[in-house]
Amino acid sequence: MDVHPRRGGRAITRRAFLRGALGAAIAVPTAGALLEACATSSESAATVRTSLPLARRNHPVRWPIYKDNPPIKSGLSPERNATLKIYNWADYIYKAVVNDFADHYNCKVEISTFNNTDEALSKLRSGELDFDVMFPTIDILGKMVVSQLVQPLNHSYIPNLTKHVWPAFQDPFYDRGWRYTVPYTIYTTGITWRTDFVPDDIPGMQNPYDIFWDTRYKGKIHLLDDYREAMAMVLLRNGITNVNTTSRRDLSLVSRQLQELARKVDPSLDVSDYTDVPEGKAWIHQAWSGDMVSSQYYMPKGQSPRVIRYWYPPDGRGVIGNDLITVLRSARNPVLAHAFLNYMLSPKAALKNMSWNGYQPPQRSIDPNKLVAQGYIPPTLKSAVVRESDFARGFELLELDPKTDALWHDVWQRFKAG
Amino acid sequence: MRRRRRRANEHGIWYPRWYWPGLASPGALWLLVLFLVPLYTVLAISFGTIDPIFRDAVPIWDPLRWNSAAFIDILHKLAGSHSFLLPPVERTLIYVCAATALCLVIGYPVAYFVARYGGKQRGLLLVLLIAPFWVSYMMRMLAWINLLGSDGWVNRGLQLLHLVPHPINWLAGDPITVVLGLVYGYIPYMILPLFAGLDRIDPALLEAARDLGAGRLHTFLRVTLPMSKQAILAGMVIVTLPMFGDYFTNDLLSGSPRTAMIGNVIDDSVLTPGQGTDAAALVILLTLLLTIPMIYYLRSTAKAMREGV
Amino acid sequence: MQKGIDAAASSISGSSRYLRPGVWLSRRWSSPWRRPLVLGTFTWIYLAWSILPVGIAMLFSFNSGRSRSAWQGFSWRWYFGDPTGSVLHDPTLHAALIQSLRLAGLTTLVAVPLGVLFAIGIDRWRGRAATSLNFLMLLSFVIPELILGVALLFVFSNLFDFIHLGTPAQLLGLITFEISYPVIIVRARMLSLGKELEEAAMDLGAPPTHALRRVLMPMLYPAIFASAVLVFASVIDDFIIVRYLSLDASTEPMSVAIYNTARASPTPALNALASIMVVVSFVAAVVGILTYRWLTKGERGKNDSAAVNLAAQI
Repeated sequence: MDVHPRRGGRAITRRAFLRGALGAAIAVPTAGALLEACATSSESAATVRTSLPLARRNHPVRWPIYKDNPPIKSGLSPERNATLKIYNWADYIYKAVVNDFADHYNCKVEISTFNNTDEALSKLRSGELDFDVMFPTIDILGKMVVSQLVQPLNHSYIPNLTKHVWPAFQDPFYDRGWRYTVPYTIYTTGITWRTDFVPDDIPGMQNPYDIFWDTRYKGKIHLLDDYREAMAMVLLRNGITNVNTTSRRDLSLVSRQLQELARKVDPSLDVSDYTDVPEGKAWIHQAWSGDMVSSQYYMPKGQSPRVIRYWYPPDGRGVIGNDLITVLRSARNPVLAHAFLNYMLSPKAALKNMSWNGYQPPQRSIDPNKLVAQGYIPPTLKSAVVRESDFARGFELLELDPKTDALWHDVWQRFKAG
Repeated sequence: MRRRRRRANEHGIWYPRWYWPGLASPGALWLLVLFLVPLYTVLAISFGTIDPIFRDAVPIWDPLRWNSAAFIDILHKLAGSHSFLLPPVERTLIYVCAATALCLVIGYPVAYFVARYGGKQRGLLLVLLIAPFWVSYMMRMLAWINLLGSDGWVNRGLQLLHLVPHPINWLAGDPITVVLGLVYGYIPYMILPLFAGLDRIDPALLEAARDLGAGRLHTFLRVTLPMSKQAILAGMVIVTLPMFGDYFTNDLLSGSPRTAMIGNVIDDSVLTPGQGTDAAALVILLTLLLTIPMIYYLRSTAKAMREGV
Repeated sequence: MQKGIDAAASSISGSSRYLRPGVWLSRRWSSPWRRPLVLGTFTWIYLAWSILPVGIAMLFSFNSGRSRSAWQGFSWRWYFGDPTGSVLHDPTLHAALIQSLRLAGLTTLVAVPLGVLFAIGIDRWRGRAATSLNFLMLLSFVIPELILGVALLFVFSNLFDFIHLGTPAQLLGLITFEISYPVIIVRARMLSLGKELEEAAMDLGAPPTHALRRVLMPMLYPAIFASAVLVFASVIDDFIIVRYLSLDASTEPMSVAIYNTARASPTPALNALASIMVVVSFVAAVVGILTYRWLTKGERGKNDSAAVNLAAQI
């Protein structure tokens, strides 16, 4: 303080301000070199990687097992007094099932959730999470294996896979020899709507996807807030069945039509289709089959879930997929984690889980044709049933090469910017 | 330190040379490491590159090796044949201007009334004015989500009065809802500086104006308004700055791309693989855009600080 | 209330007292000090608009049904009654409440001492370094939170990646954002206090550290306390920084929980959580105001408008 406070104090004069700012500007470049010296870890991470194999049905991938990331040894007993940490989507696993597991193995289970796989991947890569089990989608598996976020499985702990799971998943194209993953649920992506608000015969339309562009339902149309799903829908609308397209022309068509959609109907973007539709927030929603099955439990009291319908192309040429369960490399309880995978593949746990989250597990004991009769799926939603044969006709959203992925993200950014 | 080392001189007291810097140093170090360095990191990322596989942003720390690809990219997105960032920027400007104007139009009379005519209720009025400060922003938005839902009280009221046949869909891409949400969220921050400014005006001045024959309106236009100019400016800057960085009001009250603001674009890009450098470049541009109001706010804070508690 | 205004008006204008009653009455209606009805009504409507929606939302936290717009009877169900969905039993809501309180408490504990020392040091320390640091502090105060939030996220995921996202990063980020509050408030108080008492103490032979601790610090208590309350409440309200720096569901505080749930399918439990937030802030405010009054007993009055002035700025 140059001046006595009582005699006026010190103002930040414009000159002093500029001087301060200038000082900062000069100091910064020198500091830059200093910071560079500290920031070794992120620099080295950027340099070493080669290209990533992309798994396709006609180009299956057998992921390598790295020397420094081997599977656990056979014959170990599960960790005692452990807390199994699970990293999963929100509302995607039945807590009662998890509690059963905890009781059986006398351990605790903690579930943390992520909102999308981009977020999950970046947080896992930051190396700060020590989860045991994670539920990824197929399209990020390659990145997870190459960056060694997941550990290879020791099959001796997971007999239920060969015993109970559909043969198609015994040796899947995205992970030959199921070295890193077991399947969790199967689903299709389609259109859901409320018959009490939308009188149109959507399945009878020449192109049912056109309903998303229908201005009569402005403000009541929701799309999934997932760039792959929403953009694949536009591709399918135009008869482009390569939902992993690398063509700039296809993508610019998608971009144009999404812009048109935004302009016409003010769509909302979210992944809460299972509550928005029963609550009447959305009248038409791009939706996952499993979410629609569970939407019946979110219907307000006194209203019948029969007003909810779901459409998936009857010829099976729509988006289909399955999610995975993996053991992370960071697992503190790898043996228990293997036991958890095995447990989730048991018919009892799988069925119980489905009775809550609505997503079908690819279990042999579950006959898709009987799910409606058994009461798991309302008769009005029988189109939400997924059959083994659907996988032969449907299209999966698979990993894109980074450059293409950037193009897809650009289209999505453009759409979201309105 | 048993004994005073030097005598006090006329300006103050002589403490050892290191004494005051020593006291300030923990806070100073904190600000340098956790405020200045993060800001520099944004620069280093905006001029950085993208990891080829994971597509996350890789900073370049050395300014001599900076790569301006992200800025060129952003400029292409802002202007040119394939630009798409202009609508959200325009929207942001329109929403922020509209909301700030509304804040002023609603806030000024309220602040004026409380400052001038508060009377015995002044204490109560002040408490009520300050109350929203202590209610979280999210809670206040949640309150409106409840009211504006399709079966919310607003729609029920309108239907009861037969003003509308069907519930209005307030919460899906309605710019009016977003602007009103911004007004509701930020108006308390406008009213308090207005009140403080109006309260400082000496009533004797107004009386003098009256004695000189000025009418009520005249007094207001010639005396009160000019004297509250500083307060108006301060209030406007205080609400404008955070509104430019707001994305959650829009997320909560609309969720539609049709009302996306620049804050939404930044928020979406930050966690999207491959768009980290874009996000950083946008943050830099936003900072540049807000430099003038920020400096104004900075100086008025410095001034308020000097005036003391 | 009319009376109060009249008293105020007459004490200000003074002259009306000497007028004859009739003239006095007619003057009264054209008096500039008359309480304007329109303005008053407008103000009360504004206040109702600003407070009622929150009141209604709090009311519905006591709804016995799931609806947040149709009243189905009073109950504590969403606070602790409901075995799965109540704030007490839903692990996400529960964790959010605890995380908010933890962050607010810890941030206050660190930011306030750091800020107070910084304020004292910078106030007395002369030279360019001090000017620049003061500038830096003010900049951290005026910068929009989105900019700082993104900057902190980038720094913790690139440079300081040894600091884990989640509570540690949130804490460091919040302290950075909040440190300016105590600095500004304490400096303002110091400038209004002047150095006389301290100098007097030293002239009487007190060593500088004693003068600081025994003389200056007690006079700063009200300001320190006020800034602690402000920091606490402001952290409870914080959203952008805590959201970017959170790691997983267990490190998402109340504001983030409300944001995440509000657009999906909230039950009144969310209203209950938000109401708890309001109550926590209000308790902090009331305790703050009462203690502040108690600490500044005897110097009240002259400070009120200056306090509002400063509060307005913040």
